[in-house]
Amino acid sequence: MELLVQLVTGIGQAAMIASLAPLVAGLIKTAKARLQNRRGPGILQPYYDLAKFLGKDSVVSPTTSWLFAAAPPIYFAAALGAAALAPVLAPLASGLGMGLADLFMLLYLFALGRFFLALASLDAGSSFGGMGGSREMFIAVLAEPAILLALLAVALPAKSTGLTAMAASAAGAKWALSEVFAAGAFFIVLLAETGRIPVDNPDTHLELTMVHEGMILEYSGRPLGLIHWAVAIKQLVMITLFAVFFLPGAPLSWPPLAQAVLLAVKVAATALALAAAETATNKMRLFRVPAFMTVSGVLALLALVAR
Amino acid sequence: MDKTFVVKGSNLRAAANACASRSRQGLLAMFACDERAMSGCYAVYCLFDGRQPGGLVTVKGLVPADGPLEFPSLTPIIPAAAWYEREICDMFGLTPVGHPELRPLVLHENWPAGLYPLRKDFDPGRVVPDAGKPFPMLHAHGEGVFEVPVGPIHAGIIEPGHFRFSQAGESILRLDAKLFFTHRGIEKAVEGLTPDAAFPMVERICGVCGVSHALSFSQALEGLTGTVVPERAKWIRVLAAELERLYNHVGDIGNLSAGMGFQVAVSNGSRLKEGLLRLNEALTGNRYLRGMVVPGGVAMDVTAELRGEIAAALERFEPDFASLVGLMRDNDAFLDRVDTTGIVPFAAARDLGVVGVAARASGVDWDMRRDKPYGGYDELEFAVPVHRSGDVAARLWVRVDEVPQTVRLIRQALERIAAAGPELAAKVPPAPAWSTGAGWSESARGANLHWLMMGEDNKIWRYFARSASYPNWPALSVAAPGNIIPDFPLINKSFELCYACLDR
Repeated sequence: MELLVQLVTGIGQAAMIASLAPLVAGLIKTAKARLQNRRGPGILQPYYDLAKFLGKDSVVSPTTSWLFAAAPPIYFAAALGAAALAPVLAPLASGLGMGLADLFMLLYLFALGRFFLALASLDAGSSFGGMGGSREMFIAVLAEPAILLALLAVALPAKSTGLTAMAASAAGAKWALSEVFAAGAFFIVLLAETGRIPVDNPDTHLELTMVHEGMILEYSGRPLGLIHWAVAIKQLVMITLFAVFFLPGAPLSWPPLAQAVLLAVKVAATALALAAAETATNKMRLFRVPAFMTVSGVLALLALVAR
Repeated sequence: MDKTFVVKGSNLRAAANACASRSRQGLLAMFACDERAMSGCYAVYCLFDGRQPGGLVTVKGLVPADGPLEFPSLTPIIPAAAWYEREICDMFGLTPVGHPELRPLVLHENWPAGLYPLRKDFDPGRVVPDAGKPFPMLHAHGEGVFEVPVGPIHAGIIEPGHFRFSQAGESILRLDAKLFFTHRGIEKAVEGLTPDAAFPMVERICGVCGVSHALSFSQALEGLTGTVVPERAKWIRVLAAELERLYNHVGDIGNLSAGMGFQVAVSNGSRLKEGLLRLNEALTGNRYLRGMVVPGGVAMDVTAELRGEIAAALERFEPDFASLVGLMRDNDAFLDRVDTTGIVPFAAARDLGVVGVAARASGVDWDMRRDKPYGGYDELEFAVPVHRSGDVAARLWVRVDEVPQTVRLIRQALERIAAAGPELAAKVPPAPAWSTGAGWSESARGANLHWLMMGEDNKIWRYFARSASYPNWPALSVAAPGNIIPDFPLINKSFELCYACLDR
């Protein structure tokens, strides 16, 4: 019976994140446009884009194998899986997804999706895809330990790598120096993992500079729509992790509605912070990214030490 | 002041070498002319700058049409000749013997062998069949070396050009470019036209240096007809040319940031540029100042009211521009991208005959306005900023430093217009048959050099236009290797090279 409840809540949560993810993507886009003296598209534009992509046929290069077709659904499924595990409703329904919702599980789901997308980027044999794939893996190699380190700063006081336990512990934690360090560390990897300036530029048309966009250059129509949607979902999951683990929370005694409103406010604030960060600076040289990730790692270590 | 040495084609290299060693800037341009009707020869012209201001030194090598169609290549001793000689070979079928890299430049794989479009006996209306030849590109070899083909169709709305990168990982080993995709044959099309009929085509060689091209052509024609431009027209021309430089520089400075996703600077740059384009429209009815310069003078007056408008716009512009530059100068993340990226060393800039901003960023202290003065620039006060590091930053700072000088020139031009008489244009008399003349002007990208040979009945016999981008494109292949490929768009933008200027 408990398993059934967990299954239903997991699916419900994944559906909720999947349906709200384009809205958050639209919020970031609109905020960025306003900060840059542009009017920008409406906040709902990502929904229209998705509807357009999902209603279109796809052109597939004859040189591709089954991998090319399989990668988008796998990437999408991994993102949905991560969405089901994320500790969104955790403070409301404690004990949810106890068995599965582990921080390593979450990271490996992301890694799984990335692995298949990188393989698919090589599949068509275009040089842009290969460059995008190799850069994505290069950045991932640096970002994954940094994410882990930042999350450990939360897992350590919780004495568990279970996401629910971590969320409960983070919600009860006092906002102190170590939390500030940990938040800084995670915000840096958030920029990298969501493919934003200064690591990647989601809005560029310059193929030679692309990372994520270069990887998916060969895709069109429905598979492209799936990838875009999965990217938005992954982005919302990452933002949620940041909001739940690294921003000041409310005690568990708050009513569920207040908790949900607080979370929504924190997610929106994080999205706006991403837009501001992207506007404030320019893309860094590709080979400076390791130094940037090191900053995140050092901040995470400081957070652990300061505790 | 102008000197011409006529030599046998086989002596061209020796004569050119002697002139090159006596000039400051070396070879300015090189082209051929079909003169079989007059002398039974093809002529190869090499233009050099003389020591004294004003004049050019021309070496004319005659290649008899009934002998072997070849001349000794200058490229081994004057590297700047490399592209010119390839173009002469494509267009006239004259072989530069000893050229180290003789392969097609202008004509692509679709053009049949043995057809030379600039020879007089080639009918410009003729439709040629697709030849389907191979087009040789340069390669690098070695373990782990791969190629990245880019273009000719790009993701942004830009002109066509094909780039072939030889890569080792992210590092660029070699860059070869295939350009001239949309060649319009303007040089051929104007042959047999009167200068007035040819002028609209000349002005449209390039959208963003139309004033400069119009000016170069007009000055060439005025030189060989002995036309004296009225005082007022002289200063209105300076005003138009400097306004053109201003909107180009401001747009280019802002646009550089697009290569690194620094959107705030891009937005500010385009906002400032838009203001200047609207000023252009108020002045001429055209956002790109088309129709202002005409042979003999200018077509439109700049009234006191318009002068006031320009002066007020400059007052507003200056602080705005300073804040845009501040976004860049005080920004370490920005500086990290531009410093030491895409270096053109001084020696390479000199040898390739690089012009304009790109030259002055590599320490080549050369500006046609000061060193070969034309159109009244010798009466005005301005400085020529020079930087020495040759990187993206240097090209940016040269533009930034030129903007205040341009503003200064515009203010001086406005004063002079106010003091000048009302006459706008002198009548251009018919040009004497078989007279030749060159005209030049310093555009935002560098010197645009035009050369005219008039035939009988005031009809153009041969017209040659060397745009500033022509000698600068090869410098890109010098700047890119050693950098990583994601930095290439930034390097490319810092040169602001024009495709249309090649596809004349």
